[in-house]
Amino acid sequence: MEKKRILIIDDEASFTRMVKLNLEKTGAFEVREENRAAYALTAARDFKPDAILLDVIMPTMDGGDVAAHIRNDRNLKNTPIIFLTATVSQREAGQAGFNSGGALFLAKPVSLENLIHCLNENIRPAAKPDDEPLNR
Amino acid sequence: MAHTCCQHRYKVNTEPSKAKRTILLIEDNAGDARILREALADAAGEAFELEHVSDLSVGLERLSLGKVDVVLLDLSLPDSLGLETFAKAHAAAPEVPMIVLSGQDDESLAIQTVHEGAQDYLVKGQVDGRLLVRSIRYAIERKGSEEALAKERDLLHTLLENLPDRIYFKDAKSRFIRISRAVTAQFQLTHPRQAMGKTDLDFFTAEHAQAALKDEQQVMQTGQPIVGKIEKETLPDGSVTWALTSKMPLRDKKGKVVGNFGISRDITALKKFEDELAAERNLLRSLIDNLPDYIYVKDVQGRFVIDNIAHRRLLGVNSEEEVMGKTVMEFFPADLATQFTYDDQAIIHLGKPLLNREEPILDRAGRRHWHSTTKVPLRNNSGRVLGLVGISRDVTERKLAEEKLQQANAEQAQSKAALEIALADLQKSHEEVKAAQFQLIQAEKMQSVGRLAAGIAHEVKNPLAILSMGIDYMTKNLVSPDANVAPILGDMHEALKRADLIIHGLLDFSVPSALDLHAEDLNAIIEQSLGFVRHEMSAAPIQLVKELAANMPPVWLDKNKIKQVFVNILTNAIHALAQGGTLTVRTHARQLGTGEIDRDAGSRLANRLRSGEMVAVTEILDTGPGISEDMLAKIFDPFFTTKPTGKGTGLGLTVTKKIVELHDGTIEIRNRREGGVIVTLIFKVSAEKG
Repeated sequence: MEKKRILIIDDEASFTRMVKLNLEKTGAFEVREENRAAYALTAARDFKPDAILLDVIMPTMDGGDVAAHIRNDRNLKNTPIIFLTATVSQREAGQAGFNSGGALFLAKPVSLENLIHCLNENIRPAAKPDDEPLNR
Repeated sequence: MAHTCCQHRYKVNTEPSKAKRTILLIEDNAGDARILREALADAAGEAFELEHVSDLSVGLERLSLGKVDVVLLDLSLPDSLGLETFAKAHAAAPEVPMIVLSGQDDESLAIQTVHEGAQDYLVKGQVDGRLLVRSIRYAIERKGSEEALAKERDLLHTLLENLPDRIYFKDAKSRFIRISRAVTAQFQLTHPRQAMGKTDLDFFTAEHAQAALKDEQQVMQTGQPIVGKIEKETLPDGSVTWALTSKMPLRDKKGKVVGNFGISRDITALKKFEDELAAERNLLRSLIDNLPDYIYVKDVQGRFVIDNIAHRRLLGVNSEEEVMGKTVMEFFPADLATQFTYDDQAIIHLGKPLLNREEPILDRAGRRHWHSTTKVPLRNNSGRVLGLVGISRDVTERKLAEEKLQQANAEQAQSKAALEIALADLQKSHEEVKAAQFQLIQAEKMQSVGRLAAGIAHEVKNPLAILSMGIDYMTKNLVSPDANVAPILGDMHEALKRADLIIHGLLDFSVPSALDLHAEDLNAIIEQSLGFVRHEMSAAPIQLVKELAANMPPVWLDKNKIKQVFVNILTNAIHALAQGGTLTVRTHARQLGTGEIDRDAGSRLANRLRSGEMVAVTEILDTGPGISEDMLAKIFDPFFTTKPTGKGTGLGLTVTKKIVELHDGTIEIRNRREGGVIVTLIFKVSAEKG
C-alpha cells in the first residue's frame, strides 16, 4: 500500500515536526513540512500531497490565503485541505473536524488518533485531478 | 183727743189689712180732727185706718217708722207753722203723698205747697166724706205713678250717665235730642244739653257725618235697624276712633217714626288690636311668602294647609288652591312621598321634631336636589298636635361643593399617591440605570477579559498542540524499562486535557456565539444533563429528588448550551454534597409575579422578562454547606472558584450566566434558610425568539 502524502503548513516548526514524526511512525504516511506560508504553494506543487494540513493563523499569510492559492492551482484544486486552528474548540470542531464553507477544520490541540481518523476519512484512494471537490 | 192721741203715739199697726190704708192726720184742732174722722168713716170706714197726732214732731217721728200711705197735714201746728210745716214733713218722707189742710183764709199758701210737692189741698169746712176719700185715693195713686216714673227716669238717667257705650237720640232730621254722658265726653261738652239741636256735622268730619246721616235716613225710611256696624269716626281734631254701632228707628206712641237712636261702643282699642294682629299676620305671611326656603303646614292627615310661594314653585304649581288639601303623594314620586309621609306621621304621633335633616329630593323636572329639612309638630294652645310645620332649604350647591371638595381631596390623595408611585418609579429607574451601568461596566470588563482570553487561547493552544502530539508520540513509541514513564505520560496527558479545558472555557466565554434556538422540552434537557453527571453523583451518598412538572410548555432554547448550563450547576451542587445529602431538581411554569426578579443577590435583571409573563422555572437545590455572603457577590466573576485547584476552572458560572442571559433568562443563586443553595433559572415560554 502506497503511503499517503501529507503536506503540513504551519509556522510552528515544533508542531509540524511532531505531526511528521507521529504520522510517519504509523508507516501509512509520508509527511512534508513547510513552516513558511509564502512557500506553501511551491511546496504543494512540488510534493503533490494527497492532503494538506493548513494552519489558519500564520505571521505573513494566513491559512485562508494559502488555501485560495492552492484552490486556484489546476493540479491542486481537488486536494483536500484540513485547517488546523487554535480558535475553534474541539467540541465545536467535532471528532472528525467540521465543515465550514467547504473547508475542514480540526481544533488544536488535536490528538493523533483524531488526526489520523480525519485524514483517512478525507483522502480518496484514487484521487483524480478533475474529480468534483470532496467536501461538497 | 190728746189723750187718745197719746195712746196711739208709738203704736204702729203692724198688721194692716191689705185693703186698709194708713192715714196719718197731723192736726192740733181736736174738732177738725173729729170732723175728718167722722167724714172718713162715713165714706169708707173699713178702707182706712186713721192715726191722729197733734204735733209735727210726733208726726215726723211716726213717719220715720214708715207704713204710712198718706198724710193729712195741717200747716198751723203748735210746733210749726205755714210752709215750713210742709217742707219738714215732705223732707222727712218725700215718698209719702201729702194732702195739706188749710183754712179759708190761707188757700194761697196751700196752693204753694202743691207746687212744692203736695198732692192736693183741702179747705177745712168745705170737706165732705166723698171729696176727702177721692182726694186721698188720687193722692196715693198719683204719688205712686210719680214714684214709678221717677224710678224709670232714674234708671234711664243712670244708664245715660254711666254707660261707657255712647247712646244718642235724634229727631227726624238727625238732630240730637238727647245724648248720654259718654257722647258728651266724646264731643268734649260739659253737659248733654249742649248737643241739643246739633247734628253730626257739628262734631265729626263731613265725610263721616254724611255717611252716618245716610245710614240714619235709611233706618228711618225702612224702619229697619242697622245692627253691629263698624264705623270709622274721624273727629275734627284728626283723631280716629272706631265704633261698633247699632241704629234704630225712634217711634212715637202711634208707631210713627219720628227720629232715630243708637248705641255705639268704642272699639278703637279692639280695632287697633285687630289691626295689629292683621299687620302681624300680614308680616308673617309676607315673611313666609318671600323667604326662599320652602315653608308649609300640614294637618294631621298630611294635607297641606299653608305653604309659601317658594314651596309652590318647588311643587310646580302656581296657586295656593292647587296645593291646599293635597298630600305629598300628588307631587313626588311614590317612594319619596312614602318616606315623607312616614317622617310626617312620626313627627305628628311621637311629637318629635326632625331637625336639619339632609335628604335627596327629585324636582318636577326629575333633577336631583338636596334639602335640609326641619319639621316640628304644630300644637294648639292646649298642646294638642294639629299637624306640622316644615321648612326646607335647598342645599344642593353646598352638597355639590362638599362632594367636589371630597372628590378634590380624593384626587389630591390620588395625585399624591401617583406622585409617590412616580417617585418610586423614578427611584426604580434610577436603580435600573445604576444596575444597567453596572452591567455595562461588567460587560465591558467581561468583553476585555473575553478578548484577552481569545488571544491567550490561541497562543496557548499552539504549544498545547505540540505537547499533545509529543505526548502521543511518546505514548505510542517509547518503551521504557522505567515503570514511571507510562504513568508520567498519563499525568501529562491529563494535564494537557485540563489546560485545554480551561482554554475551551475561555473561548466559550469570549465568543458571543449565536444561539441555535428550538422549541425544547426543558424536562428532557434536564434528564439528559443529569445523565452526564450521574457518574460524579455516585462518589457520595446523594439522594436525587426530581419534581419535574408535567405538561411543561416548550421553551425556546439552544439545547446544547442549556445542557452545558445544567451540567455546570449540577456539578457544582454535587461538589457541594461531597459529604452526601439531597439534590433536588424542580421545574414548573407560572406567571411571573411583580418585583419577583431580584436584581441583587448575584442575579442580573434580564430586561425582557416582565411581571405577568409566562415563565418556565427550574430550581436546583442542594443541602450542602451553602455559600458565604461575600463569596456570593463574586460568584459570577470569571476565574472565581471555591474549589481546589484542578477541581474547577472558575469559569463555569461565568459562562453559565452568559448563556442564560443570551436566552434572555435569569439565574439566581441564593443560600437556603434551611441550609444549602438554591439556584433558580427562569426562561420565558411565551413567544418565539425574534
